[in-house]
Amino acid sequence: MDETVAEYIRRTVLKIPKDEIKMMLQKWGFLSEAQLQALNFHQIKDNISQEVVQLCEENSADIKQAALLDIIYNHIYQDKRVWSVYQMKKSGEELECFDITDFKKKFKRQIRSALKNVTITFKEYEDNAIWIRVAWGTPYKKPNQYKPSYVVYHSQTPYVFISASVIRSNMPLLCQALIVASNYHDIREMELRSHSLNSLKDIVFKRYSQNFQTNLTKPLQGENVEPEIADIRIVQENRSEKERIYRLNQEIFGSGPQPKLEFAQYRLETMFKSDPKLDVLDKKEPFRCLVKFSSPHLLESLKSLAPAGMADAPLSPLLTCIPHKARNYFKIREKKGLFPESFASP
Amino acid sequence: QESVDPQKTAFLLRKSWTLYSVTPMYRFRRSCLREYARLLSASIAAEKQKGLAVEVGTELDVRVALSSLAELRGSELDDAALLVQLSSRSKASSRNSEDKLVWSGWFCSMFGDDLSENLPEDFTSLPLFLSHGAESYTALVGSWFQKTFDCCFRRLAISPQNLSWMVAMWAGCKLDRAASAVELVFSVPRLAQPLDISYAIHPEDAKALWDTVQKTPGEITQEEVDVFMDCLYAHFHRHFKIHLSAAKLVKVSTAVASAHCDGTVKILHSQYLPGVLMLLTELAISQIQ
Repeated sequence: MDETVAEYIRRTVLKIPKDEIKMMLQKWGFLSEAQLQALNFHQIKDNISQEVVQLCEENSADIKQAALLDIIYNHIYQDKRVWSVYQMKKSGEELECFDITDFKKKFKRQIRSALKNVTITFKEYEDNAIWIRVAWGTPYKKPNQYKPSYVVYHSQTPYVFISASVIRSNMPLLCQALIVASNYHDIREMELRSHSLNSLKDIVFKRYSQNFQTNLTKPLQGENVEPEIADIRIVQENRSEKERIYRLNQEIFGSGPQPKLEFAQYRLETMFKSDPKLDVLDKKEPFRCLVKFSSPHLLESLKSLAPAGMADAPLSPLLTCIPHKARNYFKIREKKGLFPESFASP
Repeated sequence: QESVDPQKTAFLLRKSWTLYSVTPMYRFRRSCLREYARLLSASIAAEKQKGLAVEVGTELDVRVALSSLAELRGSELDDAALLVQLSSRSKASSRNSEDKLVWSGWFCSMFGDDLSENLPEDFTSLPLFLSHGAESYTALVGSWFQKTFDCCFRRLAISPQNLSWMVAMWAGCKLDRAASAVELVFSVPRLAQPLDISYAIHPEDAKALWDTVQKTPGEITQEEVDVFMDCLYAHFHRHFKIHLSAAKLVKVSTAVASAHCDGTVKILHSQYLPGVLMLLTELAISQIQ
């Protein structure tokens, strides 16, 4: 077995939390049941990984198997990475049946035609997701197995989720290979990024509970609209205002759980406007700002701002549009014309 | 105000300093610096013998140096700044006799006459203390000074009001080269899911705004700071409908300096060093009084 492969397997096993190693090796399926039984999972991780390497040596593991173990690890710990979303476009209305073998063949061919030193590995999962791992080399160097790119493609959709390595220069080649292999003609990066791969899928596949327009001004029969007053010191409060905020929140955010995003970024290039009495800045050029919101669960956090008294209800559409516009990076310019208070987001 | 020699103060820049207020020191003699260094060194060695938490290699020999920085003061009424440096030389590699600086701290008074002018003679007023390095060393040095000169160290808290003052003042500074953004960081902790908001303004635009707010050059009033902040809050509210004024301002950052509410500061530009130190001295004095 190649030394670099042995080292790579050793380091991959070391990344896995001790009580998950057995499960992950089972999922991998490369070591036999007998070998797994013989392994002592109660020793220190260093020793476990050494034993795993020895067993892989017995089975003559090569880089393909090692790469597969890496995919399995990253599939389980997918939220450790930051994922970007790309959308592919078809030129016509061709209805083609997706052929996975054809896809893999074309993908590999496209990449290898430009770069020989690559390791390409595929794994299919139950939810129609195809995971692709690409380790990149150069014309003179073998692939760097420690900085691969991961691609998740749902073949029934035009969306691709990519967690690229640091090597941005390989992106054009990766994108080209994807559209050639999947019979699309164009691909563009969406302004949508998150650690939570599932939430990104929820957003683009519209799997979350969306806002709905309602003409109901009264709560539905039997539904308890009034949120509980947790603080017993509050005796008298503007109940109708509280109800209004609660109802607006439900309308805008929906009543289900929000997709999990960690940040939203707004590049503002709008004009600074102020009370003329203040006699301050009155420039004809934009007041340039960069605003970043971050939270372990951004949308839930924003949803709680108005009830907490921190924001007006309804909240600004710049924030509430995040899921249905499927983006969390924005550039905001002033919209010219009739409505000076509205903004254009290209 | 004498201009500070950039070379001598280069060590101050681009480091994160933890701030303390220090009450006046009793019977501190500027002529005894070498003696003090010896005593402090012995004190540190004794503490290490006791096995108290000093997170360094067991064979390290810590050397103490005390020096005066005459340039770092506002006026003749201020005492010169006092620098304490801890270096280590590994006993193992004695042929390589290079000392490695492991901790530094300095006492300073920049226009601190509010405190010093009414002091009896035996007292030295250096109300601002800045440290950089392991907390365990800060504790050792601090407790020695407290015991020896009967003074008291307290972490300096920087309130959101102080931070607003700083960002307004520093945003208005004229800088000769390309500056970094004026950034305000807010925290909304008490939500079920905490929220952090970073609001960064292009330095030219922030300065343009401040220039129209400030009515008298060379003088800043609380009212002007409030107007500046209200403008920033209003611009933010116009877009996001969020009341930033209800959030907690925890950090401000400009090309001149940055400061965090937990009492740390980073000074980035030597030109404005005296101004920054003056503001911090003022904060230290009001914490003491």
